[in-house]
Amino acid sequence: MTEANAETISNRPVITIKLAATSDELMQCYMLRAAVFMGEQHCPYWEEFDGNDYTASHLMLYVDGEPAASMRVRWFATFAKLERAIILKRYRSYGLFIPFVMWARDFCRAKGYAKAYLHAQHRLWPIFERMGFRRVDDKIFHFSDHEYGAFACDLEPDAATMPTVLTDPMVLNRPEDRLEMPGILEDSMTRGASNPHAEWSERRAN
Amino acid sequence: MSMTSLSIAGETVTTRLAMRMEDSLQAFAVRAACFIGELDVPYSEEFDGHDFGATHIIAYVGDEPVGTLRVRWFKSFAMLERLAVIQRFRGNGVATLLLERARQLAETRGNNMLYTQALPADVKYWEKQGWRRLVAEEAGSAPKRIVAMVKAVDPSKPLPEAEAPESVVLRRENQLDAAGLPLGTASN
Repeated sequence: MTEANAETISNRPVITIKLAATSDELMQCYMLRAAVFMGEQHCPYWEEFDGNDYTASHLMLYVDGEPAASMRVRWFATFAKLERAIILKRYRSYGLFIPFVMWARDFCRAKGYAKAYLHAQHRLWPIFERMGFRRVDDKIFHFSDHEYGAFACDLEPDAATMPTVLTDPMVLNRPEDRLEMPGILEDSMTRGASNPHAEWSERRAN
Repeated sequence: MSMTSLSIAGETVTTRLAMRMEDSLQAFAVRAACFIGELDVPYSEEFDGHDFGATHIIAYVGDEPVGTLRVRWFKSFAMLERLAVIQRFRGNGVATLLLERARQLAETRGNNMLYTQALPADVKYWEKQGWRRLVAEEAGSAPKRIVAMVKAVDPSKPLPEAEAPESVVLRRENQLDAAGLPLGTASN
């Protein structure tokens, strides 16, 4: 049997991780959170959907195309905050959590963030420590029925590839989880620049 | 809106039709909590492609969304499905309120018949709510996975026997485009 054949008949699930980029993917993200936080952990709706969903990036993990895990990232000036990380019950034996958090860490680092920060439920502390997170102080606080500690992890972004104001403008326009691949706006460049609203702006300026 | 007034822990229970994106998300979140979180239904089965051709009714305790019911409109009947109440609010009559709101809605639309597909274990609940089996149970027949049940919208105008054949609603509707379904369901 060739290697290619072995690949085709593999029974290993296909795992895909991406930034939620459509309203469908956002809806999947919210529904996974509702299933785990509202359905399993009995969190009230307004605590789960706290008003920060539309200032954040959402990461989605799929198992064979089925939505299986999600995480929310909020962007502060000096650190990225990972939150609302969940895995659907039926996928919890797949070993997804560590690769998912590592993907999120790499995503933050690729964007140039030097620090990832999170509030970890007490029971998960050893797992985050294994992934290189350290407590920022010894405070323990609680909300929505769980005890938390604040953790941070240094990310060491690559100065040569991280986005800056001097990065190629068309690279900055790309989908953020695929900065290395040409995006749809680069295709639009074939249309040239007809500057259709130039006249209007000239009138406004004069 | 509803004729029965209900309150849980001092908070009034109200029902509302989903009119805005946020309302729909609340309805979907309640279903996700109950069906995906509690009952382990896969996402792509729960969100089956019918949600944007249906009416969603939501029940609130104060401003917390706690229950929902989906109504799909057919020519001769209204199909009630995806009835869900968040676990800790069960046993207070929230579902009864949702079902009554759906009945009133069907009445205003000139519908005569409510139709649902119940799990065998839930048949008694629906019968208590005034529903009956579409087809009488046959003695000695194999147990069914689902039971089709109906109720007259206007109790003074009882339904004729067997009006909606099951085959009409069990097949996929033509308006469903397999290419538009969530990943993983196109082969169904």
